[in-house]
Amino acid sequence: MVQVLPERLPWFVAGPLIGLLSVALYAIANRHMGVSSSYKHVVTFVRDRSQAKQWRVWWFGGLVVGSLVAAFLRGGPSPTLGYGALGLVLPVVVLIPTLFVAGLLMGYGARWAGGCTSGHGITGTSARSPASFVAVGTFMATAVGVTLLLHALTGGLL
Amino acid sequence: MKNPLNRVSFLIGVAFGFLIFAARLSDYEVIHNMLLLREPDVFLLMASAIGVAMPLLWILQRRRWQTPLGGELDLAHDKVKRKHVFGAILFGTGWAVTGTCPGPAIAMTVGGNVLGIFVMAGLTTGLFLRDAIAARSSVRAAIDQPAPIELDAGNVAFAGD
Repeated sequence: MVQVLPERLPWFVAGPLIGLLSVALYAIANRHMGVSSSYKHVVTFVRDRSQAKQWRVWWFGGLVVGSLVAAFLRGGPSPTLGYGALGLVLPVVVLIPTLFVAGLLMGYGARWAGGCTSGHGITGTSARSPASFVAVGTFMATAVGVTLLLHALTGGLL
Repeated sequence: MKNPLNRVSFLIGVAFGFLIFAARLSDYEVIHNMLLLREPDVFLLMASAIGVAMPLLWILQRRRWQTPLGGELDLAHDKVKRKHVFGAILFGTGWAVTGTCPGPAIAMTVGGNVLGIFVMAGLTTGLFLRDAIAARSSVRAAIDQPAPIELDAGNVAFAGD
């Protein structure tokens, strides 16, 4: 497969473009660009179409298609059961429940806090919403703290 | 996709998904190195996104921008509450362990990282769990609490104050 995309699009290209996307969604549709709630609307849509915000479902579909396009431009999706350094530390039978529970914490926390790295981290801060600055400061500090703790506890393996 | 709102969200979603994958935010190692403070790139990425979006949104807000699909621009403005701190602590913990978050988890899974599906399943479960618990506690609060009593009659501001 031909690799069209660079190994990694630099931050100074991707960052400003992502900023423009959040402006575009607000400027065109008056909607807040955040990902976490769309998971919920996708499930709701499957259960009962009328209860879901359809644009959130389309948004989620767009994320899938967009990442798939990028994956193909970098030589196609490459299926793997690995999971970076975490996959080397934990056997798969432990890794799967760990990922599920950590994902659950993340989903629960995002819903409780009213947003995630996109909704608070990029769009909420850009909208100058006070709650977003507090949420971002808190989850950044927590994530760095937990990561450094895991690093120390695993003797540098993680 | 007749609805213009659906079309716009889909296209912006495509672009966002593309950029997440292209910038490797979907890689465990990239997020892990960011959170280990080994590499500033993702912090700079987020800062530059905000640096571009904040002034533009501010200008649009000051001009009382009429959005084509949703009336006058109405930016999120939420007061700080305890939930923002508690929720963010849980979120940050999950983010640190999985090395991914809701958007990148999609890109990660689509890109072939099969185990990402368990992060996505956990995420979805967590969202519904939070809503279920919030619904239960609001029902209980409505039962436990007597009708609100007006206590702040003495604090009524006088016209002209």
